[in-house]
Amino acid sequence: MSASEFTTLLDLVASVLLLSSVIIVWRRDYGAMIKLLAVQGVAVGGIPLVSGIYLKDLQLVVVGMMVILLRGGVLPWVLSRRLADETAGSRETKPLVNTTSALFVTALLVMVGYLVTHPMLRRASTPETRAIPAAFAVILIGVFLLVSRKRALSQGIGFLVMDNGIDAVAFLATLGVPAIIEIGASFDLLLVLAILVILTGRMHAKFKDTDLDALSELRD
Amino acid sequence: MNHIDLIIPVIAPLLAAAISLSVGWRTVTKWANSLAAVTILGTGLLFAFGTRSRHVELFGGLLRSDPLSSLLLIAIGAVGSLVTVSSVDYIERELSVGATDRSDARQYATLVPLFLTTMVLVVLSNNLGLIWIAIEATTITTAFLVGHHRTRLSLEATWKYVVICSFGITLAFLGTVLLYFASVHSGSSPADALNLNTLVRRAGRMDKTVTRLAMGMLLIGFGTKAGLFPFHTWLADAHSQAPAPISGLMSGILLSVAFTVVLRLKVVGDAALGVGYVRNSLLIVGIATLTIAVSLMVSQRDLKRLLAYSSLEQMGFIAVASAAGTELAFVGVLMVIVGNALAKTVLFIASGQLQSIRHSTLLEDLNGVMESSRLLGVSMMIGLVGLVGLPPFALFVGELSIARAMVNANLVLPLLVTLLLLLVGFVSLIRHLGGMLLGPRTADEATWKARPSVYVALTLGLSASLFVGLVGSPFSNLVSSAAAVVAR
Amino acid sequence: MTDLQSRPVEAHRKEPRGSRPLLVGTSTILVGGLSIVLGIAAMSGGIASVSISWLLPFSGLQFSADSTSGLFLLMNGAVGIAVGTYSIGYYRHSHSGTFSLMMLPLFLLTVIAVLLAGSVTTLLLMWELMAVSSMLLLLTEYRKKEVRDAAQWYGALTQLGFLAILVGTLIMSGGSAGVFSTLAITSHHLSESLRDLVFVLTFIGFGSKAGLVPLHVWLPRAHAEAPGPVSAVMSAVMAAMGIYGIMRVDLELLGHGPRWWGVVALSVGAVSALYGALQASVATDLKRLLGYSTTENMGIVVLAIGMSMLLGGYGQYELAAVALVAGTYQLLAHAAFKTLTFLAAGAVHSATGLRNLDLMGGLAKRLPVTSSMFAVGALGASGLPLGAGFVGEWLLLQSLIHSHFGSSAPLEFAIPVAVGVLALTTGLGTAAVVKAYGVGFLARPRSKGAESATEVGLPMLAGMAVAAVGCLAVAIAPALFNGVLTSLMTVLYRGVSVSPPRLGAILSIPGFAGSTSPILLAGSTVILVVLAQVAISSFGKTNRLPNRDANLWACGNGILGERMQYTATSFAEPLQRVFDNVLKPEVGIEVTHYDESHYLVERVRYSRTIVDSIEDRIYRPVLRGFLWGANLVRVFHSGRISRYLALGAAGLFVVLVVSH
Repeated sequence: MSASEFTTLLDLVASVLLLSSVIIVWRRDYGAMIKLLAVQGVAVGGIPLVSGIYLKDLQLVVVGMMVILLRGGVLPWVLSRRLADETAGSRETKPLVNTTSALFVTALLVMVGYLVTHPMLRRASTPETRAIPAAFAVILIGVFLLVSRKRALSQGIGFLVMDNGIDAVAFLATLGVPAIIEIGASFDLLLVLAILVILTGRMHAKFKDTDLDALSELRD
Repeated sequence: MNHIDLIIPVIAPLLAAAISLSVGWRTVTKWANSLAAVTILGTGLLFAFGTRSRHVELFGGLLRSDPLSSLLLIAIGAVGSLVTVSSVDYIERELSVGATDRSDARQYATLVPLFLTTMVLVVLSNNLGLIWIAIEATTITTAFLVGHHRTRLSLEATWKYVVICSFGITLAFLGTVLLYFASVHSGSSPADALNLNTLVRRAGRMDKTVTRLAMGMLLIGFGTKAGLFPFHTWLADAHSQAPAPISGLMSGILLSVAFTVVLRLKVVGDAALGVGYVRNSLLIVGIATLTIAVSLMVSQRDLKRLLAYSSLEQMGFIAVASAAGTELAFVGVLMVIVGNALAKTVLFIASGQLQSIRHSTLLEDLNGVMESSRLLGVSMMIGLVGLVGLPPFALFVGELSIARAMVNANLVLPLLVTLLLLLVGFVSLIRHLGGMLLGPRTADEATWKARPSVYVALTLGLSASLFVGLVGSPFSNLVSSAAAVVAR
Repeated sequence: MTDLQSRPVEAHRKEPRGSRPLLVGTSTILVGGLSIVLGIAAMSGGIASVSISWLLPFSGLQFSADSTSGLFLLMNGAVGIAVGTYSIGYYRHSHSGTFSLMMLPLFLLTVIAVLLAGSVTTLLLMWELMAVSSMLLLLTEYRKKEVRDAAQWYGALTQLGFLAILVGTLIMSGGSAGVFSTLAITSHHLSESLRDLVFVLTFIGFGSKAGLVPLHVWLPRAHAEAPGPVSAVMSAVMAAMGIYGIMRVDLELLGHGPRWWGVVALSVGAVSALYGALQASVATDLKRLLGYSTTENMGIVVLAIGMSMLLGGYGQYELAAVALVAGTYQLLAHAAFKTLTFLAAGAVHSATGLRNLDLMGGLAKRLPVTSSMFAVGALGASGLPLGAGFVGEWLLLQSLIHSHFGSSAPLEFAIPVAVGVLALTTGLGTAAVVKAYGVGFLARPRSKGAESATEVGLPMLAGMAVAAVGCLAVAIAPALFNGVLTSLMTVLYRGVSVSPPRLGAILSIPGFAGSTSPILLAGSTVILVVLAQVAISSFGKTNRLPNRDANLWACGNGILGERMQYTATSFAEPLQRVFDNVLKPEVGIEVTHYDESHYLVERVRYSRTIVDSIEDRIYRPVLRGFLWGANLVRVFHSGRISRYLALGAAGLFVVLVVSH
């Protein structure tokens, strides 16, 4: 793989990352959102995979495969298991902001991402680091999803988008954190998502709904 | 020299968890859990007062033990012992009235030692990545403990707990990644780039802007688990809905364990950015946390929420105190941590007793405690004295040391603001708890007797706090050297 | 006002409680004795500094004593002995638990420890221990709501005071443990503004303990609700500890300050004295009256201290010493007569179950010893000659009259005002105790409780007798205290040589006109009374008319009833009218008509309650403000997770902005 091919591939991966999260903001249908999430997960894993092939680093290739497996396969699958039980409709019904404003905010967040990550580019300008702003924007979009969506499952998706972004930043900035940390963190992520899914199930069983506005009994 | 004994406090509760998972809620389980907690306490004491060097490392610096970690091991072990002992009565009684089934009891008995393991890992880790994993794991292991009762309210609390904490902790992961970036680009080798001592050593050469961003993320991220503003919102819900012994563990020690991570990061931040950045952040975050905590205590109606907000208040207080940054300030912080751990655990265990008798945690339903059980009333009264920072308990020494340190660091104005806010908390606590303990009893009931194991826990906790606050030595030497670890 | 209908305590007394009251009383007496021994040792310089480094982690304890501590040790020891003796009898019949009983000697021990404290951190620890133990004492009868309310007020204000002292003294010591002997030197190196801050904070802190306006609101409640012996120690000992703090920290350690310090102390003292006297004169609850009288007397003491600071600031050291001696003497007198009056009030409560003066009456016949004891104390509180309070107030007046601040017109104006305030305070104070004695003890009983009262037991009488001896000593033998006060001067006015006023058989102030002699006054009064008695009896013998039984003249109203007497309320009515604007009584008139006609009145009910107007006008708005702010925070925490997450996201955004 030549340097220019490598750069092109990384740019492709970065645009897939960003585009998938923008579309997640746009779509309300859970099925579509989870598929996009899987695509995004593959893109995240694509970064170490591509870098590994380019740098001829077997360990990175393995890490890339594992990330693709986890983020492109297992995590979306866990979420879709929950979706199968969802009877109250498979759409996010009541976001706090409408789609137009949400897309507008997303655009703003992309700009913020570029502004914030500027110093990291100054430090080391490589094909990888040039894609960091996109990944950072994905994090912020994830935060936005988490804050603006009111159904339990949507929050899980927002959370995952955010985490994908962070992992992408990690791979782009430093080819990933040390393997043991990466494995531990992924394991944690899996467990948290599993807990969220179980809790969503319990909520569904208890309230027949997963609208989080119903969860405001605990206050002073 | 190989210090493999460092993993004993990690392994012991893991074994206990394995036993609980395989045999369920049996006599051996109860013993195993308590033994695991006592082992943590014992190894903590051994590391602190043993003959070998107090600073040791294991696995290439992944784990390490220093006076600060030993002190926290002791605190985790002490609170853990009190909690596991009183959990026996708690679960037995729930089983007898049908509030818990055997599989939930098994889950409880498995998760409690796992929770202890994760806290021990946080304390012993020298690697920021590993600390992050362990902190996130505390959320995972406690999620179903908070949701133990499977009521609508506890489900709500669990959801908020998991989502808000994960959000905050994920930000801390971003901070970790950024700090890793800064560390690697300053020339650290990837293998130990996230080790705290490497970070401190390399701090001077790290990129300032990236480090500032990273420190900000890490502070609010790990601050989440310490209950600091702006991610404090999960705390009261989770602490009030969890079973009382778990509330004791979470309120008494988990918050402080997370806070010491912030303290260790402060060393890195100060070295990289100068003292201003972290210090001002801590002042703002601390005073905001304190204000929110005391505001919500003023007209609080629920005992467990009141105690939870009191923990929040203590966290805000020690955040402000840490801004002073001197050894004496950290001595005070650690004394507050110890005093709060003991008093809070005692009060939560006692409130679990009350809850089991009156089936409520509302203050208005819990009146006349002194009339119903003199012993429980007096224990709670002494616990209250210890909690509001009156002598001769550990918190008083903490507050005194913090006041001295802050005056010394020319932080008189923040000190005055902090003390005024603490006064509001003080009045709220004596007003609500005083009324509850001493006021007339409206419930028509016979005088009740609590289980003896609860009294053992209460008496041990209170005497420990008294000892630490009055005499201290040799414990105070440990506190001094622990404070020196994070002092500049 | 709370127990209008309360039955005598006798009715539901428990059985005598074995040897416990004896144990508590004896140990209290022993602690009192210890205090006196330590006091004498301190006076003679016989106490070496001790430091204990293994107690109180990271700060250590430091003890030392000088004649200032000695004076207070002696005073508190004497009070302890009187109260200890008294409580042997008192607690035999009370409902208090063992725990709060044990607190009495422990409390006195903490007071001794405060007085022996030789460093800032030691003082702070002991001060707070004193607060905790006094709080537990106050909670003796915690089952009553009024007691719990009083404890809340006390807790809040004492903690506020502690925090002020904490910051103030720590600024003074620069955050170190602050050993007093070095502090006296190093505190002068602080910047002016820091010294001002230290003064303000410590004055607030110690003032709250002394019950100075406006931090006094806990005091009438606490003193009214605590058991008799506890009120006595709280008033005579603990309030005096506030004065000790001001003397120790603001006069001795902080040293000379700008003149406005003196003005502040003078004004706060004057306002407290006047306000306390006014509230006392209209109070109907005997112990509440005595509580306000504490505020009054502490106000006078602080006025004297302020005067002394001011005079010192103008270089008039002779008069400054007079003012300080006056204040200290007033403090001693207060300890004596307030112990006596509170013990007597406790005895009355124990015998009748009453605190409300309107329901007493006729106690002089039924409790003859208690009544005469109360009379001795009341005379002391009035500040009239022959009373314990006379000497101090006379000295204070002298220092005020002789002072001159030629260069400062405002002060030239302020001093006559202070004289007026002092005179008015004395007048109102006299009215208050005349009312207390006249309405409460003379005439006919106005309730069953008062009617069926019998004299209290010997230990209680003996305790009161000890206090009464103290009163007499202070009243007529100031010479006894000459040495004590002189050595006090040498500590507080280090480096300035003054000749303090001579308190001998004749009181005089060196270099100034004016003298008096309490002992001669007392002697001549006694001689006059004896002569008059002799004259009357000899006159009576010569012109004896035959005895005749007849009804008393009752304005043609038939039999003289107890409802026709003056009550405490009616006695104070004219005063209430005059000070209507300050007291702001709440008046309620409720007219009930007959059902048949609106024009016929069945009953008119008139009620008038005097609340503490400072509490109403300062504390309520502040508390409302706090609640309002707290409510804002509460409303924000609505329980919605999206709002909580948005808050976190906002935090993230702030971090992004700040870090950039």
